[in-house]
Amino acid sequence: MNIKNQSIARITEIGSQTELSELKVEFLGRKGKINKLIKDIKRLSDEDKKEAGRAINDTKAAIEQAIQSKIEELETHKLLHVKWFDPTVPGIPYKIGHLHPTTIVVNEMFDIFKHLGFSIIEGPEIESDLYNFEKLNLPKDHPARSLQDALYVEDPEVVLRTHTSSVEVRALSTIKPPFRLVVAGKCYRYEKVNASNNAIFYQFQGFSLQSGLSMADLKGTLFYFAKSFFGEKREFRFRCKYYPEVEPGAGLDINCAFCNKKGCQVCKGRGWIEMLGSGMIHPNILQGMGYDPKKISGFAFGMGLDRIVMDRFGIKDIRSLYNGDIQYDL
Amino acid sequence: MRIPINWLEEHVKLPGKLSELTNRLTYAGHMLDKIDKVNENTVIDLELRGNRADCYSIMGIAKEVSALFKTPLKNVDLLKIKSAQKIKDINITVKSRYLQRVMSVKITDAKIGKSPGWLKDRLMEYGITSINNIVDLTNYVMVETGQPMHAFDFDKVGSDLEIRTAEKNEKIVTFLGDEIVLDKDDLVWANKGSILSVAGAIGGKNHSISDDTKNVLLEAASYDQANIRRTVHRHNLLTDAGLRHEKDLDPNLVELGFCRFLYLLDKNGWGDIAESALDFYPKPIHPWKVSLNYDYLKSFSGVDINKENLKADLKWLNFITQEETAEKIDVLCPTYRTDVKLEEDLIEEIIRLYGYEKIPASVLSLETPENITPDYVNQEIELKNHMIHMGYDEVISSPFVIPDYQKLNFSLSEKASPVTIINRPSPEIEEMRMTLIPSLLGFVKKIINERGEEARIFEIGKIYFQKNDKYIEKRVLGISYWKKSKKGFRKFKGYLDSLIKLMRLADIKFKAIKIPQIYNSYNLILNNEIVGVGGQIDDIYFAEIYLDALLGKSEKQKVNLWQKYPPQIEDLTIKIPKQVEIGKVIQSIKSANKMISKVTFTDRYKDNYTFRIYYQHSDKTLGDKEVEEIRKVIVSAVKKQ
Repeated sequence: MNIKNQSIARITEIGSQTELSELKVEFLGRKGKINKLIKDIKRLSDEDKKEAGRAINDTKAAIEQAIQSKIEELETHKLLHVKWFDPTVPGIPYKIGHLHPTTIVVNEMFDIFKHLGFSIIEGPEIESDLYNFEKLNLPKDHPARSLQDALYVEDPEVVLRTHTSSVEVRALSTIKPPFRLVVAGKCYRYEKVNASNNAIFYQFQGFSLQSGLSMADLKGTLFYFAKSFFGEKREFRFRCKYYPEVEPGAGLDINCAFCNKKGCQVCKGRGWIEMLGSGMIHPNILQGMGYDPKKISGFAFGMGLDRIVMDRFGIKDIRSLYNGDIQYDL
Repeated sequence: MRIPINWLEEHVKLPGKLSELTNRLTYAGHMLDKIDKVNENTVIDLELRGNRADCYSIMGIAKEVSALFKTPLKNVDLLKIKSAQKIKDINITVKSRYLQRVMSVKITDAKIGKSPGWLKDRLMEYGITSINNIVDLTNYVMVETGQPMHAFDFDKVGSDLEIRTAEKNEKIVTFLGDEIVLDKDDLVWANKGSILSVAGAIGGKNHSISDDTKNVLLEAASYDQANIRRTVHRHNLLTDAGLRHEKDLDPNLVELGFCRFLYLLDKNGWGDIAESALDFYPKPIHPWKVSLNYDYLKSFSGVDINKENLKADLKWLNFITQEETAEKIDVLCPTYRTDVKLEEDLIEEIIRLYGYEKIPASVLSLETPENITPDYVNQEIELKNHMIHMGYDEVISSPFVIPDYQKLNFSLSEKASPVTIINRPSPEIEEMRMTLIPSLLGFVKKIINERGEEARIFEIGKIYFQKNDKYIEKRVLGISYWKKSKKGFRKFKGYLDSLIKLMRLADIKFKAIKIPQIYNSYNLILNNEIVGVGGQIDDIYFAEIYLDALLGKSEKQKVNLWQKYPPQIEDLTIKIPKQVEIGKVIQSIKSANKMISKVTFTDRYKDNYTFRIYYQHSDKTLGDKEVEEIRKVIVSAVKKQ
């Protein structure tokens, strides 16, 4: 009986396979303690033999069972604990692809305008003077033309578009109203390249042509967009501004996030940052497309994207956007 | 426009707080740019509006303030003068239709000298350097009224003056000492021998006021805006005068400026003014009518503005009511409002006085138009996602080819010439790309120089050609791959294969071609049409895929279920002679028997190629004997090649 308790106690404490094997030999081996007991039985009386034999068999069975469960326990133990495991080891890198910051911003804007029922289009970058200027209420010698000196492919009729408004003109002349459209794309200007000016830049433009559109619709659309994109906490200012392509014209400003309208270097002391130009499509443009401006109206808005992208991603030099300077994997 | 506040205050009562003034001006279309102080005086700088030539002046802004705050303008002293056809001792002949109006007068016994403090200070606050009292006064009146004017030395200009267009190559030395070679469209003031001034822009050196000047010829004029604009930009003469004349200035302003000058000259005793002045004004401008329909105002602006209020506003803006009914109102526009021609212009006047900030931001309540986004837009959005799924980073490059890479800028798909810029602002802006390869190559090299281990980049953009007098813009996807110390065509090809799968394109064939300067080049072919090109420069791999050619070619998305009976898989090594395309071998294995469900290329040792072949039957597990039969077919099919 002693042997039974003693062996089971020791088995419980055992921590390795080797110890267990040794213990197995000690108790169950040919010269083990059990066999010794069996030999000892011979000296007992028949009565006692019977009883002792049963007790020995019980003990042996108990030890065998204890060893068996210890083996199982050790197996499990081995799987869970015995091998050293370090979860802090670095993973094998899996390369992730990244979208360009401009694409990220454009996609976000597209999503917002899709909610408002806008479709997306594009148009050519090599444009005629007619579509880039004339049809936009910008005849030759118009004072506003110098604001957007063009890169010429052929003087004076073929330019690289100076704004996405050329796409608006193309849409107005080909697509049947009502429509709401947004466009994002490359534009070009005669500009000496430096950290804040580039000859190529991205513009985002939207326009709609539909009977009954008003300035209030324009303001509502712009505020919905601006709040969705910049956040509810920002403030916006909708003010009168002149653009030859629209009448009445409006500008949308956003409060300067750096100084909270107190005026700082970022906002040039204005407290506000000009974000977007807009207005009701000029009646001359509509008439030029064969529409009666008293029966159908439209609005249009446009903004430069690069500044917004640079602010969002903390890029200081506009040239970095399009010269391969962006390092994606941080 | 820089507005010294004390000067503005001479013309109109200002609100108590400066911010109240600037806020209102900003909302009404004259954005405050910045505020500074000169001589202890506050100067507000308002953004110039291209269509408001009248606001390039103190009095113009004073009129705006008067209307916005409903406070009357103060009186301005003028010296009225008799008008005549001619000036004594001098003939001024107008030989160009570009002149709309000119007023001119002789001032004798002029007292030339330094300007008094008030004059100097005002000009300094605005930002003009003081020269002498007469010149300064012309500038002072220009800033105050918006009307540029010019003073000549009467005794130097001679007795016969002309206002005419220049002959080509005529020259003038400006009072700043710069020589300008004129064009035949440039309008000038001239005498028999020389050019006196470039009209509306700048005066000449030899005929300007000096300390010795005894008599002065003053002129104020109005010219054809477009002509002046062309001259000003042709010769880069955006002077204070040029800046105003290149906008639509009111010819009636000539008289105001002229008479204001004479008043101030006289008041200061700087000369004797002749009894009468020349006023050449063949086609006087009168106020014009614009109608406003109330219903249209309401539907177009989205606000319901009280009729009485809007009429009062228009009155404050000096629009005169001519006729009025329940539906509409006809008004006469003051002639200085050269920007108001249409009903919509008038609506802007009404709502900017009402206040843009009060327009409701209403949610688009009209019926939503149908979605007309064309397929190519979605194609590009989808493709960008495919590329980033494969671990590629998107780049955007300038469409102008970097000079270093110009020799690689050739059309890979058709005979065409590059699009070039004729007015280059800098040398790198000249030739537009005909392929994305040069810029991708440049970007990858940058990654290599920055000690990158691997480059996977793509760009979706346009390439540009000129062909048969037409300009062509082609949408392309450019892909480039490089890995340090590894020859990677198979890896790159794997990406292309995956992309083709993601785009669900049926059967793109790769066909080797020869392009000078590009190694191992090939075409991608879909249904006998070239849809892309690829190759290698150094150890950088790239491909360019023509997106329009792939539009609408994607197959429907489908899914496969696992087959009920598993395949038998075995590796088969076949000796393949040199210069046999491995793609064709695989194709022939695949088509040897319909029970071959899949063939992959696993390994190669010299000419021995190992393929892993999957034998599979939909209704049973294939036995060894069946597999052996098929294997024999494979071997004979490959041998036939």
